[in-house]
Amino acid sequence: MTGSDPAPYRQAMLDEWYPVGLVSQLDRAGRHTALMGEPIVVAGDADGRPIVTGGNGRILPVKVRYGHVWSSVGAPTKDIFPIPEADQPGRRFVDVGVVRVRCSPLRAVENFLDIAHFPFVHTDVLGAEPHTEVLNYTAEIRPDVDEVWATQVKFYQPQASKSASGGITTEYMYRVPAPTCSVLYKTCPPRPSEWDVITLFVQPLAEDRCDVWPWMALFDDETSMTDLIHFQQMIFLQDRSILENQIPRLLPLDPGMEIPTRADLTSIAYRRWLKRHNFTYGAQLVAR
Amino acid sequence: MRSDTTGFWTPVALSADIPSRTVIPAHVSAGTIALWRSQAGQIAASADRCPHRGMSLSHGFVRGEALSCIYHGWSYGMSGHCVRIPAHPGLTPPETIRVATHAVRDAGGVVWVAEGTPASDPPSLDGLTPLRSLTIEADRAAIEAAAGVPANADGLIEITRDGEDLCLLLSGSQQSQTGVRTVVHVLVATGSHAPQRIAASRNVERLRRMAETASANGNVQ
Ligand code: FES
Ligand SMILES: [Fe+2]
Repeated sequence: MTGSDPAPYRQAMLDEWYPVGLVSQLDRAGRHTALMGEPIVVAGDADGRPIVTGGNGRILPVKVRYGHVWSSVGAPTKDIFPIPEADQPGRRFVDVGVVRVRCSPLRAVENFLDIAHFPFVHTDVLGAEPHTEVLNYTAEIRPDVDEVWATQVKFYQPQASKSASGGITTEYMYRVPAPTCSVLYKTCPPRPSEWDVITLFVQPLAEDRCDVWPWMALFDDETSMTDLIHFQQMIFLQDRSILENQIPRLLPLDPGMEIPTRADLTSIAYRRWLKRHNFTYGAQLVAR
Repeated sequence: MRSDTTGFWTPVALSADIPSRTVIPAHVSAGTIALWRSQAGQIAASADRCPHRGMSLSHGFVRGEALSCIYHGWSYGMSGHCVRIPAHPGLTPPETIRVATHAVRDAGGVVWVAEGTPASDPPSLDGLTPLRSLTIEADRAAIEAAAGVPANADGLIEITRDGEDLCLLLSGSQQSQTGVRTVVHVLVATGSHAPQRIAASRNVERLRRMAETASANGNVQ
């Protein structure tokens, strides 16, 4: 994309913040990666401060938040979305690491918003037959914050998290505050009054390739960090086997290409919100 | 591959390679399809894309007389109609939810998929028994050149030379990421014994190397 003007419809997403690496892994040599088609290097200076360099050596905007380094190939006008739970005492923050997926960054987010696949893709962990029913829930675009929200999502889970022993009906809330980021609030077994936070931060490498950076803020003092990371990585590797085999690889925004049901209300709201904002990097607009 | 004005049959796989309750990807000129066999042994072929969220159906699973998508478990019957949406157990899926299907025949140990609407049955393979299938990274022309004889209208190549006895049934050629590839089925005379079968296997490997080398060197049109 360097050297030529991107198609105007992509402009909307160019000015967003995206995760490009873990703060804990910054080094002088740098991580050679890409952001929306542009090769970038994410390095730490002598004081450990992140520096992100674009394709032609230009310095890109940079921020540090939620364990990750964030950058943009455009000129962001807003701050990174807030996650108030990230400042709440008593939570453990888990950098899960990165999973490379050959799919549209938007498909990766949509999969994260989906619960109906649990019994088939995360069998005996996040779901199990015959508990396949998706009960009615609410999904909306909240005008005050301009985010997609799904609430009152409930699902039966054999082992909802590393700290859950035995099956429970888990309650969820989903939030999409940025085109390639989602925040999941989930029943927290050790503290019924709180929600565990699991996020999906997606780095769009290209329209059909992404690095997925899950991150968690949990109330769980017992499970070892290694076990927490392995549990989430296992889940995301199972998702990858789906995401790399969806056709087309880009997310179809035209109705008619795919058939949703009531269980897909969050996905429907997400697609509508993307379209409304021209967030179409990684989307397919015309049915081919 | 006999081609008439309305369509033809493509030999996509050997019957023995799709046991009951399995699904595999198969290749026809239009692209990849999902080829599956029900619990009762019926063979069926459908488009490889689930209409719900686009998951490849050849990654799915077969239960009873239906093919299920691995993503959310939507199930499709032989006719392509959606028969079950697990997220809504009480719902009878509307008629409009379906996958495109292809006519299939399981004859002579070979599974044939219709491309278009063939006017006749698949060619008969009387006196021949399928041995195995293989994928050659070359197009039909390269395989015919390596064999030294062209395929007949049914896609059959019969080679008899220097004690070589080889009968090949060619499927259509497909573009792949690495170039062109062709699925080839090796057939032997019905009643052949181990030595002839071993010889046929060895001969087809030699032919494969010749065709792939020629193809890699660009020696064929
Ligand atoms: S994509 Fe096939 S069931 Fe959802
Ligand atoms: Fe998943």
